[in-house]
Amino acid sequence: MHKLIFNEWLKLFKKRSFFISYLVMMVVIGGAAYFMKILAGGEKFAMRDFVFLGLSPSGFGALTALLVMISTAGAVSKEFSQGTIKLLLIRAQSRSKILLSKYIVIFLYTVSLMLTSFVVSFIAGSLAFGAGTPSASWLDVGKVALSTLVYIEIFATITFMLGVLTRSTGITVGITMLLIMMKDMTVALLSKYAFTKYLIFTNVDLSIYAGGGSPLPGMTLGFSLAVIAAYMVLFLLLSFVTFKKRDVA
Amino acid sequence: MNEAMNKVATGPVKGAGQVVLQVNGVTKQIGQKKIVDRLSFDIQQGEIVGLLGPNGAGKTTTIRMIVGLIRMSEGDVLIKGESIKRNFAKAISHVGGIIENPEFYPYMTGYDNLKQYQRMTKGITEERIAEVVKLVGLQDAMKKRVKAYSLGMRQRLGIAQALLHNPSILILDEPTNGLDPAGIREMRDYLKRIAREEGIAILVSSHLLTEMELMCSRVIVIQEGKLVTVRTLGESTVTENKTEQVQVMLRVNDAEQAKLRLVRMEEIRVMGMAPERDQITISVRDSYIPRMIDTLRNEGIAIYRIEELKESLEDEFLKWTGGNRSA
Ligand SMILES: Nc1ncnc2c1ncn2[C@@H]1O[C@H](COP(=O)(O)OP(=O)(O)OP(=O)(O)O)[C@@H](O)[C@H]1O
Ligand SMILES: [Mg+2]
Repeated sequence: MHKLIFNEWLKLFKKRSFFISYLVMMVVIGGAAYFMKILAGGEKFAMRDFVFLGLSPSGFGALTALLVMISTAGAVSKEFSQGTIKLLLIRAQSRSKILLSKYIVIFLYTVSLMLTSFVVSFIAGSLAFGAGTPSASWLDVGKVALSTLVYIEIFATITFMLGVLTRSTGITVGITMLLIMMKDMTVALLSKYAFTKYLIFTNVDLSIYAGGGSPLPGMTLGFSLAVIAAYMVLFLLLSFVTFKKRDVA
Repeated sequence: MNEAMNKVATGPVKGAGQVVLQVNGVTKQIGQKKIVDRLSFDIQQGEIVGLLGPNGAGKTTTIRMIVGLIRMSEGDVLIKGESIKRNFAKAISHVGGIIENPEFYPYMTGYDNLKQYQRMTKGITEERIAEVVKLVGLQDAMKKRVKAYSLGMRQRLGIAQALLHNPSILILDEPTNGLDPAGIREMRDYLKRIAREEGIAILVSSHLLTEMELMCSRVIVIQEGKLVTVRTLGESTVTENKTEQVQVMLRVNDAEQAKLRLVRMEEIRVMGMAPERDQITISVRDSYIPRMIDTLRNEGIAIYRIEELKESLEDEFLKWTGGNRSA
């Protein structure tokens, strides 16, 4: 299994575009620190707050999410469009294992991008603002990082499933972007209905709970985790069953 | 009928006679249409067998079912006795395949691509990679990205990939598709050499009979998903029966005169004549030919050529598959 995972990692790594996502991350976060320093001038801003921003889903976490989506969309569909799927599936390996190794690599890739944004925002924040008197504790930073990871994994799983179902990178990216853009609006429009709290979109941002709030009145962290788990199982089941049964023509 | 055909000898190859691939009543139904319909055949070790049929006959579908890329609606495929349905990993480990064009990760080098497949199967050593690379003559291209490969090079990398895990059977769908005549010939030579040196069976699909004739010991002809005939190539066209009627073309110094003499012989039927080329075509029993020659010589007719006119396999193929349906 670890060899399959290594294979999938190399498929990402050997692409010229691989380093570009890390580069984009560095440039955007570094640039943001620079502009915040010269524009916000007198305002006090601390390194740790900048790290918090770097990891939160409403901050640069959104950029990480975007980069992960783009890679995820192609993970399965590119094998089909390149035709490499035919040589991939005639090995002495089960289709489930092959798909699982792709899914694991997406997780590893997400973690690596988040580590990068942590390191970059730590360094850029230190250079630009110094330690200062941050309003966020390291625990807050940890919590927000974890909720971003969950947020990204939910969307990555949806993207992954769409890639398996549609076999088209373009359609997958399109639908995912549409979902990300529409999610807040959908939740807002439907908030008066009771079923809304069972929608996956209502539950994706766990960082709301860290601030003591909730996405909709009456929802708890435990409830959201249960809903997320149910959806994830559903999405993965759909992906694996489809991939296993699919005729590769 | 099939059983008799499967017993055809395949020449002195190590382990010959052992059945490597068994296709048992395989059917693929999509909607109401049976794309492949209860197809059965066997392939033995060391044999090169052609799967022949006009466009849309179901060759690709059959091959994809054999390697488990698509499911069969009915029937089963056994590779060295292992079912591809029930024991996929075990069965497929004996198979090397190229399905239509071999496609690789274009941004990786040839070597990186082979390493991908090495990691997917247990027990493939670096030496084995070097060995197959040498066999297909790609040593100098291993560090190049596949993007920069010509089609011929990709086909060869395809063969290398298929051979990595020492399979017992190679399954290739239209391996010469898109290659130029030199490339086709090269591919054919590789395949023959592999069958001989590695002693493995090869199943190749094609819609070109002429190509099959040059490398296969047997062809399985299918049409509209059904088995039409299984033919052993080579010996089958030799006339064994001395009493059989054959068609021969004669070139003589005077076709008119020859004709006048020949029509008087009741053993001979004149089929046609081309006086401008001094040719005459007759139908005659094999054993009667020496006598006919003597007769013509005694008449003072000079004979320049005697050629048997064989119905070409191509004609036969068209007959099997219903004439102009191919092309
Ligand atoms: N998924 C599908 N749904 C419906 N019909 C299909 C499907 N796949 C193949 N067919 C039909 O099945 C028939 C056999 O197709 P197949 O590709 O196996 O033929 P082939 O012998 O490989 O032809 P060619 O020489 O053109 O490669 C064709 O008529 C094709 O249109
Ligand atoms: Mg085909």
